[in-house]
Amino acid sequence: MGEPIIDVRDLRKTFRVTERQEGLAATLRSFVRRQRRDVNAVAGITFRIEAGEVVGFLGPNGAGKTTTLKVLSGLLYPTAGEAHVLGFVPWRRENAYLQQMTLLMGNRTQLVWDIPAADSFRVLQEIYGVPDESFRRTVGELTELLELQDLVHKPVRNLSLGERMKVEFAAGLIQSPRVAFLDEPTIGLDVSMQSRIRRFVAEYNRRTGATILLTSHYMDDVVALCRRVIVIHHGHLLYDGPLADLAERMAPYKIITATLRDGAAATIDLAAYGTVTGRDEGRVTLKVDRQGAPERAARLVNELGENLADISVEDPPIEEVIDRVFSEERVGTAT
Amino acid sequence: MRYLRLLALFFRTELQYELEYRTNLALEIVQIVVIITTSVGAVLILFNYTTVLNGWDLGAMLVLLGCFYLVQGFGELVLQPSFEKFMEHVRLGTLDFALLKPASAQFLVTLRNFQVVQLGQMGLGAVVAIVGLGRISTLGPGEAVAFAVALVCGFVLIYALLLALSTFAFWFVRIDNLMAIYWSFLDAGRFPVDIYPGWLRVTLSTAVPVGVAVTLPAQAISGRLDLFGLAVLVVGSIAAFILSSLFWRVGLRSYTGASA
Amino acid sequence: MIDVYRALFVGQIQAASQYRVQSVLWMLFSVIRPVIFLAAWVAVANAQGGRVASYDVRDFAAYYVALSLVSNLATSWNAYDFEFEVRMGRLSPKLLRPLHPIHYAVVENIVWKMTTIIPLLIVLGFVAVTFDARFRATPVHLVLFVPSVILGGSLAFLGGWVIATSAFWTTRVHAVSTLWDRAVFIFAGQIAPLALLPGALQTIALVLPFGYMRGVPAEILQGAVDVPTAMLLIAVQAIWVAIFYALLQVVWRVGVRQYTGVGA
Repeated sequence: MGEPIIDVRDLRKTFRVTERQEGLAATLRSFVRRQRRDVNAVAGITFRIEAGEVVGFLGPNGAGKTTTLKVLSGLLYPTAGEAHVLGFVPWRRENAYLQQMTLLMGNRTQLVWDIPAADSFRVLQEIYGVPDESFRRTVGELTELLELQDLVHKPVRNLSLGERMKVEFAAGLIQSPRVAFLDEPTIGLDVSMQSRIRRFVAEYNRRTGATILLTSHYMDDVVALCRRVIVIHHGHLLYDGPLADLAERMAPYKIITATLRDGAAATIDLAAYGTVTGRDEGRVTLKVDRQGAPERAARLVNELGENLADISVEDPPIEEVIDRVFSEERVGTAT
Repeated sequence: MRYLRLLALFFRTELQYELEYRTNLALEIVQIVVIITTSVGAVLILFNYTTVLNGWDLGAMLVLLGCFYLVQGFGELVLQPSFEKFMEHVRLGTLDFALLKPASAQFLVTLRNFQVVQLGQMGLGAVVAIVGLGRISTLGPGEAVAFAVALVCGFVLIYALLLALSTFAFWFVRIDNLMAIYWSFLDAGRFPVDIYPGWLRVTLSTAVPVGVAVTLPAQAISGRLDLFGLAVLVVGSIAAFILSSLFWRVGLRSYTGASA
Repeated sequence: MIDVYRALFVGQIQAASQYRVQSVLWMLFSVIRPVIFLAAWVAVANAQGGRVASYDVRDFAAYYVALSLVSNLATSWNAYDFEFEVRMGRLSPKLLRPLHPIHYAVVENIVWKMTTIIPLLIVLGFVAVTFDARFRATPVHLVLFVPSVILGGSLAFLGGWVIATSAFWTTRVHAVSTLWDRAVFIFAGQIAPLALLPGALQTIALVLPFGYMRGVPAEILQGAVDVPTAMLLIAVQAIWVAIFYALLQVVWRVGVRQYTGVGA
């Protein structure tokens, strides 16, 4: 493997927050002596990302995802650790680096509210020093991919949230970056707009080979785009590997769905085979130990015989895995 | 060079936008005209009782008032809208975008927004100054150059002051009160700084240099600023610019956690 | 009504205590402008051998100190707030309450003045000493000052509301209030004591209401006018207050009808 595009080693970021009490007296007191507390937003994480990868960065609110993205894009100085992106140290914010990367935030806009996006594009072209020729080509491509034709000439305030996000994407990609950090790019969008954005990101990655690190609350985004995910929680790295293996690693159980023939459902108790987690007419879902899953399934088939209409053994849905990980607040290290 | 092109581009985009709201534009111009004529009226009332005010005759006073509106107009043309936007960016977290651009963040933030209609204030200020100039001695090339230099220094001083004040936004977020210092003291620029009592004169010349930013250009154009005074002004302005830029950088470092 | 006012006061005082620092700062800055014109007149007087018409340097100081006090007591910026409320659609819920919105503004103004009066007096004391102010007021003047400043404040308040009501018809209240503010600037005694306004301007100033908001109470406090004149001026103030009160009634009624008519 060649030089990684993103190389993070033992990255830490500690924020010092001032605790504030209510009331004037307390405010005055804290003016003299502040109550301070350290918060470890990122508590030592290490990972590498190769060129062209699309990696999902997962974790609940406050896990440290946005902090990490801000460090990698150069907005925050880390407290300790190293990071290189495209060979640059991000927080030095060298122009050569900024030129080649972008940070898109789903809940913030860099477009000027009152003027059409096309004008903002021109300003960005000038700021990034994009030659006219490639500017026209890039805008043309983005316009086609995102179907922006009618949108770029309207003042941004007249666009819907979804339209604005599409234009926002175009604005963030004017400089044809080699690395893109996407922070909740689909937040607040309706389902069809979410899938449009997803298709765009996938297509963009395919066409340009740009490396993409994205965070999202919507597992659909991650499932659709990322073969690899990095899971962090409380600033620690919990998992780094293929999305497909996430369930295996993080959820020590499988789901068996057994469909019983009419009438049998009432008489047969399946609790002996595993934990019953759902029952819908004749369909019963069981949670069983991962290792024991094949054996349980075989027993079910044998012992129920004719009463069994259908059976399937699956990994739990990805949301559930993630949910489980975060609710258990397990802190471990991954390989 | 690239920055000048950018500046022109910023200006053009805002101009386009303001031209869309013609009624607003017209009303704002009316307001500017009313404000400036009433201010000229105030000066005329004063000079109804005297021919000279601390060595400033009516012509010189009009030049001064013109300079006042040139400087204030410059502040409202680009500084006020940009700095207000800057504070909004800090509040909303959108400042990040400016920091991620391969160009000076200070430039991108502090000279980004324009209220193009305030060119009217500067224009009218220039007219008042020219009328005043017509009443006093002829204008030599030396005075003209000195005036141009002094006026630019005035702009730089105002810029440095606002930059320093607004830098506090990195720590306190809401700093409207601090900015009010500027707005209330700026008004003092309408009269020569030397008419004020000691403490106010010192404040207006140093900590809040709105006084010298207006008075010195007016003195320069009427040939009453010697080379030494001009040199002090130039050096002072450059120093103010450098110091405030350094302070801004400290604020920015604290914002990005470099010094925390 | 008294109970209602008590409740409003409690609410406003709580709100004001949160903005205490802010109010005091704004008050301090509001003193700067009178000081600017005081300094200018002192310069004029000095150029003229120490006096301008009936005013010497110390009279100017007394006048502008008095004017600062009156300006702070007789200022209201309801026009801006009101326009904002109309534009943001926040007025409608207030119209639904069984209490006229003006009462909120009355209480807000009084509370603001209460919170700033002591620091204001300290600052003005400092200015008075710096400029060596001399007040010619007799005890009778001081007694007359009380109704005069109340009438002046009421007049400014009612005038401000009439202007604010224009928000019912136009979204450009800002332009209207700029004109109003500049008229106050010229005619209310800001740039010069009314007695020093040249010829025609003085006549206009005496006819228009602006001088009766600030200039008249300030001259009474300073003791620049004799007692009979002061009483006459107070009578004129009362007439103006009555006129603006009636005007506001009419404008408000028509305005609300217009506002609710378009459905906001």
